[in-house]
Amino acid sequence: MISQTAIHHLVEKLGAKNVLFEKEDLLVYGYDSTPGVHHLPEVVVFPSSNDEVCAALEIAHREGLPIVPRGSGTGLSGGSVPAEGGMVVCLSRMNRILEIDEENLTATAQAGVVTLDLFNAVAAKGLFYPPDPGSQKISTIGGNVAEDAGGLRGLKYGVTRDYVMALSGVLADGSFIRTGGKSVKDVAGYSLRDLLVGSEGTLAIITEVTVKLIPPPKDKRTFLAYFSDIRTAGAAVSKIIAAKIIPSTMEIMDRTTINCIEDYVNIGLPREMAAMLLIEVDGHPAMVAEEAAGVQAILEEVRAAEVHIARDAEHANQLAAARRTALSALARVSPTTLLEDATVPRSCLAETFDEIERLRVKYRLNVGTFGHAGDGNLHPTVLCDERNHDEMARAHAFYNELYEKVLQLGGTVSGEHGIGLAKKEYLRRQIGPGGVAVMRRIKQAFDPQGILNPGKIFTDDEQCADVRIEEGFRVSR
Amino acid sequence: MSHDEPMGNFVTRDAPAYEGILQCMRCGFCLPTCPTYALTGRERSSPRGRVALARAVAENRLEFTPAVKEEAFFCLDCRACTTACPSGVHAGEIMEACRSQVHEVFPTTGLAGGLRRFILGKMVPSPELLETSMIPARLYQKLGIQWLMRHSGLLKLAPRWMEKAEGMLPPLQAPLRTQLPEIVPARGEKRGRVAFFLGCVMTLLYAEVSRQTVRVLAHQGFEVITPKQQKCCGAPHMNEGDPETARSLARHNLDLFLDLDVDAIVTDCAGCGAVLKDYEEMLEGRADHARLALFREKVRDISEFLVEVGLRTEDLRSLDLSVTYHEPCHLCHAQGISTQPRKILKAIPGVELREMKESSWCCGSAATFGLKFTEESQQILDRKLANVAATGADALVTANPGCHLQLAWGLRQAGMEQPVLHLMEVLGKALPE
Ligand SMILES: Cc1cc2nc3c(=O)[nH]c(=O)nc-3n(C[C@H](O)[C@H](O)[C@H](O)COP(=O)(O)OP(=O)(O)OC[C@H]3O[C@@H](n4cnc5c(N)ncnc54)[C@H](O)[C@@H]3O)c2cc1C
Ligand code: SF4
Ligand code: SF4
Repeated sequence: MISQTAIHHLVEKLGAKNVLFEKEDLLVYGYDSTPGVHHLPEVVVFPSSNDEVCAALEIAHREGLPIVPRGSGTGLSGGSVPAEGGMVVCLSRMNRILEIDEENLTATAQAGVVTLDLFNAVAAKGLFYPPDPGSQKISTIGGNVAEDAGGLRGLKYGVTRDYVMALSGVLADGSFIRTGGKSVKDVAGYSLRDLLVGSEGTLAIITEVTVKLIPPPKDKRTFLAYFSDIRTAGAAVSKIIAAKIIPSTMEIMDRTTINCIEDYVNIGLPREMAAMLLIEVDGHPAMVAEEAAGVQAILEEVRAAEVHIARDAEHANQLAAARRTALSALARVSPTTLLEDATVPRSCLAETFDEIERLRVKYRLNVGTFGHAGDGNLHPTVLCDERNHDEMARAHAFYNELYEKVLQLGGTVSGEHGIGLAKKEYLRRQIGPGGVAVMRRIKQAFDPQGILNPGKIFTDDEQCADVRIEEGFRVSR
Repeated sequence: MSHDEPMGNFVTRDAPAYEGILQCMRCGFCLPTCPTYALTGRERSSPRGRVALARAVAENRLEFTPAVKEEAFFCLDCRACTTACPSGVHAGEIMEACRSQVHEVFPTTGLAGGLRRFILGKMVPSPELLETSMIPARLYQKLGIQWLMRHSGLLKLAPRWMEKAEGMLPPLQAPLRTQLPEIVPARGEKRGRVAFFLGCVMTLLYAEVSRQTVRVLAHQGFEVITPKQQKCCGAPHMNEGDPETARSLARHNLDLFLDLDVDAIVTDCAGCGAVLKDYEEMLEGRADHARLALFREKVRDISEFLVEVGLRTEDLRSLDLSVTYHEPCHLCHAQGISTQPRKILKAIPGVELREMKESSWCCGSAATFGLKFTEESQQILDRKLANVAATGADALVTANPGCHLQLAWGLRQAGMEQPVLHLMEVLGKALPE
């Protein structure tokens, strides 16, 4: 348990309202959006500057507390769950946009800035920050960097990593680190910046992020294509890409997902269809016209049941917003939504859909599938009830077998949600013991004592002997 | 929301249903819409946090502690989270159900408890007493006083809060309920017969608004019945965690209105409308299902009703007025009525609707009032007022008495000139004599 003296010191350094330690507060900083994982921290702090982050880390050190960085807690692999207790460092109050540099086309923001706020601020200056995870209204830019979040526009514009130019942060020992810069080229030594992107809070606490901005596309066109079987939708995606057309968005939703979303938004989505693709092409008007024609031709060739074009920008936004609610909307059906993040080479999409369907039948599960089809990134989601142990066992068997197939196809166990607590075993399978060993040595170089977000990505065998278990609380490991 | 056996550390039958709590998958979509979370930045005062607390209580992982009570009552019940939640979680209602636990777990004593019991148990159910009672009772209804009551043990109230509360009130008018004829005939070509549900606050504080509502209905070709025996809709009792009294009021109104042979039951108070539409759920298993369904089918907010039957605009006068519209939580979030009031405004000749930013963000009609003596106090209201000011509109239109009071008070404090008008007052102005 954290000592009263430590609480006192934290209050002194950060101010009373930035240090929470009542049970009710701890309870609600013990989860993120991942089902079934929960653990209490001992204290939650809200620094508002680099210095305060350092001060908090120093106190954690003295107390021997593990440190868990947290943004908005929308992570889907348990990354911000304090699995071994300790101190949650929540960045949500470091939420200022520090600079929009219109000469260098960069923006610098504190880690707690909400993704959509950054998007809007740069859009107001005629610039564009493309990464747009489904959670963009809530997630923080720091959380996006830590998970290397993707989004609906990933296909053409890439993921968070492709936009990170510089990072500032604090290392486990309390020292300050700055890596990268505004210059577009930089090969001075190892790229620590790239190591920190996707590090899931295990290497450093990121406090400031400088991102690259681009000019927004001048024009766009949005299609909705309906299919009477999902395989055809998968084939359409592969064909569009093979035709050398790179839409900005190519999102897929199956029948279960369509119905759940429609229950919520009520905008006339086709409930009876097996699948739906949301496709957007953007860029220079001439190119948009050409690509739109190409997309339309392919949709006709594969015999999409119906093809619709969004009436106007507002309609297109409405459709994208509806798609973003997919995961939460699926949660209408059942108490527990187990979602996965399998990603395969795009030519294998149709095959992957077949496999999902085969396994769904085999394990008698209710599954809704949606995802960033253009990235080969699918989120097959099992709609189940954590109180039903038999069903949960079948769900795990389902994923187990699915991942075998995904790896066979040359895919990955996580396209964008990270390993966190949820997928450590799968990571080992994917990269092998050699890969894990190298990762572990990197971790050791940054955080020799293993106090930053312990228990995530891989289990640090030496360090985890002393797991704190709060009475009456479920432990996730 | 009721559950047969209370789960875990909940104690009474009106505890939140466990299934409803489990529905939350913690995605956080509700976070940016919650006014109390925006104020504190503390997860436990967010919908996601509140549902998690309720879950912990239901799963025996947490007692029903004072902090849970505090969050249950701090929640404005504005339902913005319900609109935002793709999973269909009703965090506001879960908190409302939590409030019903409070009186069992922490019986109220002393002045606050006694006053509360008296007001809720005796005055509000009886129109006569309410109308002749003292200021606190008249204030009570949905005006923020209930919020103060709940917090009287938790907050250090500034001295003389009662006087300041009075300062919020518009000049009191003679209660409309006793003056309104029980039957007002339709004008022009008759289109039907409706019952008018006259809210407690409307009759006491906004008699003029409801007078206009009845006038509008008549002008639109409807015969209007306003039964004198109607009672409070039960909203304050539900809010305060007294579902028993709320249910007995609901049964009274249900029987009274179903006995009338009318096409619809119309109200101009968003708060009442939301609860009337909830009778079906409140009385589920306690009254005949078919009658509940029939009642539900007939209840309409005035704007919803007018758009549904089609507004007659032929003889409306032109007004030359620019307005902006604030959406009451109990209209847009609780009833999903958002486009109808706008359609009506746009249909009135000479009215220009200037949309404000965040029109569906709570005005803080409860919270700001209670908090107004602290540093963060003004924030909810200020945010709203800044959005109003940015439109430069001549008048601020809304459709709920709680919002009306709060906004009028806020504008006055800020030295802003715009009057606050109920949607029906605007339409009333456009009617021919
Ligand atoms: C409905 C929904 C839709 C989603 N859609 C997508 C999607 O389309 N694409 C996608 O990629 N993800 C998606 N996600 C997952 C999630 O939103 C992202 O992973 C997001 O980046 C997490 O941000 P956060 O601020 O909530 O971080 P948190 O969940 O708080 O933290 C995530 C991880 O980052 C670490 N971390 C957070 N902040 C910092 C920091 N400042 N420094 C160091 N480490 C830090 C934490 O320790 C943790 O390991 C979705 C989630 C939901 C609920
Ligand atoms: S209440 Fe709804 S929107 Fe909020 S976290 Fe839960 S599921 Fe998501
Ligand atoms: S009802 Fe309003 S105040 Fe209460 S949790 Fe929902 S959004 Fe927040």
